[in-house]
Amino acid sequence: MIGRISATYALRSLGRHSRRTILSMLGVGIGVAIGIVATSWIRGGAEMQIRAVTESGAGHLRIVPRGWSAERDITLRLAGGEQAARAAAALPGVVHVAPRSRVNGLLAFGNRSAGVEIVGVLPEVEQRANRIVYKSRMEGRYLRSDDPGRVVIGRTIADRLDVDLEDDLYVTLAGPDGVRSAMLRITGILGTGVRDLDATICHVTLKTLEEISGYTGTGDISILLDDHRRIEEVRRDLARRIDQVEVLTWKEVNPGIAANVDGDRGFMRALVAVIILVVGLGIISAQLTAVMERRREIAVLTALGMRAGQVVGLVVIEALAVSLGGAAVALGLGGAAAYVLATRGVNLQALMGSDFTFGDVLLDPTIYADFGPWIIAYALLLSVAATVSASLYPAWIAARLQPTDALRL
Amino acid sequence: MRPETHDNLITARQLTKVYTTGRVETPALRGVDLDVRAGEFTAIVGPSGSGKTTLLNLMGVLDSATGGELMVLGRNAASMSRRERADMRLREIGFVFQAYNLVPVLTALENVEFVLELQGVGEARRRRAREVLEHLDLTPFADRRPGELSGGQQQRVAVARAVASLPRLVLADEPTANLDGENAEALLQMMRDLNRQQNITFIFSTHDPRVMAHAGRIVTLVDGRVAKDTEP
Repeated sequence: MIGRISATYALRSLGRHSRRTILSMLGVGIGVAIGIVATSWIRGGAEMQIRAVTESGAGHLRIVPRGWSAERDITLRLAGGEQAARAAAALPGVVHVAPRSRVNGLLAFGNRSAGVEIVGVLPEVEQRANRIVYKSRMEGRYLRSDDPGRVVIGRTIADRLDVDLEDDLYVTLAGPDGVRSAMLRITGILGTGVRDLDATICHVTLKTLEEISGYTGTGDISILLDDHRRIEEVRRDLARRIDQVEVLTWKEVNPGIAANVDGDRGFMRALVAVIILVVGLGIISAQLTAVMERRREIAVLTALGMRAGQVVGLVVIEALAVSLGGAAVALGLGGAAAYVLATRGVNLQALMGSDFTFGDVLLDPTIYADFGPWIIAYALLLSVAATVSASLYPAWIAARLQPTDALRL
Repeated sequence: MRPETHDNLITARQLTKVYTTGRVETPALRGVDLDVRAGEFTAIVGPSGSGKTTLLNLMGVLDSATGGELMVLGRNAASMSRRERADMRLREIGFVFQAYNLVPVLTALENVEFVLELQGVGEARRRRAREVLEHLDLTPFADRRPGELSGGQQQRVAVARAVASLPRLVLADEPTANLDGENAEALLQMMRDLNRQQNITFIFSTHDPRVMAHAGRIVTLVDGRVAKDTEP
């Protein structure tokens, strides 16, 4: 156990070489500051990607008919879809519940055609829950709940078919009883700014899709939460309340984005490991020097009866003090940089051009770093972990000093 | 050699110590027989290289003998673990070093208090440290760091540190070597008083004839052996 005098001794020892102590703190602080900025940036990027994928239609969770995962057959329908949607909406943390159904079809105008996945939606929900709807440039208007025979298509489809608002599209699709056809009038054209994404947009109301396809019921239900960290909790609740369904996370629905987010996090962990290593080596060097300079003093203390554990404690206290100073420096430098990145963001338009998609997910061109109270805990934890763990080797060297060294001098 | 009695603090029989550096072996003690009883004020004298410091190191369980038998405060030194040795040094043996060896960043009071803290003495340790300093007329220097004290004052603080926990035995290696005559005399008087008033056994190595004059017993080492053992 380390008492008051021992702690005083350790802390005053730092003052003997104040320049070395300050440089050590700066070294720790700058290393941890880099860790803060990198982590804040990667966390912000990951949050952005998760938000983008979940708000682009996938939701944080998606309820699909049992067996859907095996073949991803979009003609499967939920048994009791409305009941499932009501159950989901009643759960804490659920912000939006968006039922959808899908059918593959062919849109034609004159002698031009385009293959699409026609998505049946609840317009009032879709306009709030789907960023592809509410963030895009809309020509005309979006669907209304009582909009029979109306369709909203993407700008690329409109260009390919050479159609405009109020034109009637001839749609052919495979129903449960064979090939069907219908006419759909264009009520709106959505432009996300990304050609590939605009080539996939084809929305009708759920009711319209039932009428023209012959498939009744809801195909899937996307659920948006207030916080993606609640996914597993809500998933468990849903699985308990609803039968005959699968509840998938956004990661399972969009494994590509999930792999990207996981890759970023892996990079972040590797970076933190490198920072700990570099900071640690610096601390080992500085503390080893300090221990060797006080070899005789430590040997005297050992001669007086100080135990090896108490010697280790002295060195660790010194390291702890350096780590706290380093954490303060890191918060000053890294915290400020993270704050700027979090409030102003970085627009990647110059780097990426206009393609802000990943698959059928509409990404944001500006990435904002994640800034919050976690940075304080992170700076302290990283600083203390790197510094204190690095001090163990010098502490071990100090604890091994022989007391006879004190008397030989 | 004196007869072994129950109040022996130190009993050495054919004690040897050989230092090995590479292939070179240097014998420092070549079979020392010695008994030190409680309450003695013993000087170990002899020329440089006679083995004085080595013998003090062994008696202070700071080092291990190469051969022979050594009982320190009733325990066989050879069978003690590192932790037991540290514990004995902490609780039962005080040390005074030639170069004072006070902790430079602590005040005189804190230096004395430090040893008590290591012993696990709680709230009472500051009071006890002040008492010791007062007893040794060091109160005016209590809040000064070693760098602000003269050599004599530092060595008196070192003695205060050594006796603060009322050890049974104090070992001092050339305690007056760096002191002028006046300070050496004052230090020896202080140690003698502690020896008489508190029955603390003192064993010290010295070359200094003034120190020998204070000793109750003089053990002379020559070439790692006890050449003479007298009580002036």
